[in-house]
Amino acid sequence: MPVALDQAYERREQDAWGEFYRAFAKQGPRADMQATTQGFYVATAAGELLLYNNNRDPEKLLRLLREARERFASSEAARAEIAPRPRGERDPRYAPQPPEGGLVLRVRAQVLGGYPEPKEEHQRAVQRSIGRDNLWLTRAEREELTRGEFPASALERLARFHLVDNTRGEPPMWTKEEVRTLRAGIRNGVIEGRFELATEKDASEARRYRGELRGHLEVRDGVVTRCDLVALGGFRGEGRYTRGAPPGEFPFAVAFALADGTAVADAIPPQGSRGWVEGYLRPR
Amino acid sequence: MRHLALAILPALALAPSVRAQEADPLRLDEKRFATLHAQLCAASPETWESVPWRIDLLAAQGEAAAAKKLLFVWAMDGHPLACT
Repeated sequence: MPVALDQAYERREQDAWGEFYRAFAKQGPRADMQATTQGFYVATAAGELLLYNNNRDPEKLLRLLREARERFASSEAARAEIAPRPRGERDPRYAPQPPEGGLVLRVRAQVLGGYPEPKEEHQRAVQRSIGRDNLWLTRAEREELTRGEFPASALERLARFHLVDNTRGEPPMWTKEEVRTLRAGIRNGVIEGRFELATEKDASEARRYRGELRGHLEVRDGVVTRCDLVALGGFRGEGRYTRGAPPGEFPFAVAFALADGTAVADAIPPQGSRGWVEGYLRPR
Repeated sequence: MRHLALAILPALALAPSVRAQEADPLRLDEKRFATLHAQLCAASPETWESVPWRIDLLAAQGEAAAAKKLLFVWAMDGHPLACT
């Protein structure tokens, strides 16, 4: 049964989800729940850990998975009756839901050039990778959009938490002070704008992203039916967990589209909301 | 001759700016918007997207228990399906 999760939530959650995750994760080499426990786990429904691995080689992982499955099939555990674990109340700090009456937009980002020739296959994959996230809009912001106006609060959230290079890992977000220029307007359904986001030049992780916004908004009978947007500009720099950016300024794009709820990933909270949803929805 | 010059001059004056726009890879006109939006938002699914991932660990535990199957958990810093 394949499960994908952000372990920064589960290892901290004080509820049945967190208890079950910690029950099998602590049997592995990353047993300290105050630090990252990321990796691949294979566990029984009873919570017995059969495999932990954090290897990038798909062939190696596949071989280990097959071995774990064979060990399981020949064990008593494969025939044991296991009850579903009681769910109970979810720890609200780690189960944020999209704002009621709001909108979810899928976010996709890509470095469009500037990388040196890749030396191996993993590097090639990283260079072509598309970063993913979700943008949450509040009910009030959706209502503003239906009136043909781009909400200032949504624009700021979009810039600070989503005009980021998340193609190589968890990116640093922008502070309010780092938003140097930000404007967008809607005319006849066409969204146009400009932005410049920049840290101080001597910051330890000096970054800058500046460019244009363009998109289309369609509203039918008071319902937002299309909200397609692209940010395109030059990006410079990287973060602590996004090392390996192209040297100098490189072309970088972020695209947005309405999520229709058909993808399981549509339900995942924005990366920028982790740990502080209020700070994401109402940035200071 | 004068007519020819009048006809050519505006074209000459326009030409460099047109070329500059065409050459600027960061210019976001309607055509570029459509290309990029399709490239990023309508990209062909990656192989890992074909896996029927669950995001509710306890729901998956219940499914695994009922089917007598194992759990395969992809746990990352940042959600694997939305911060990849």
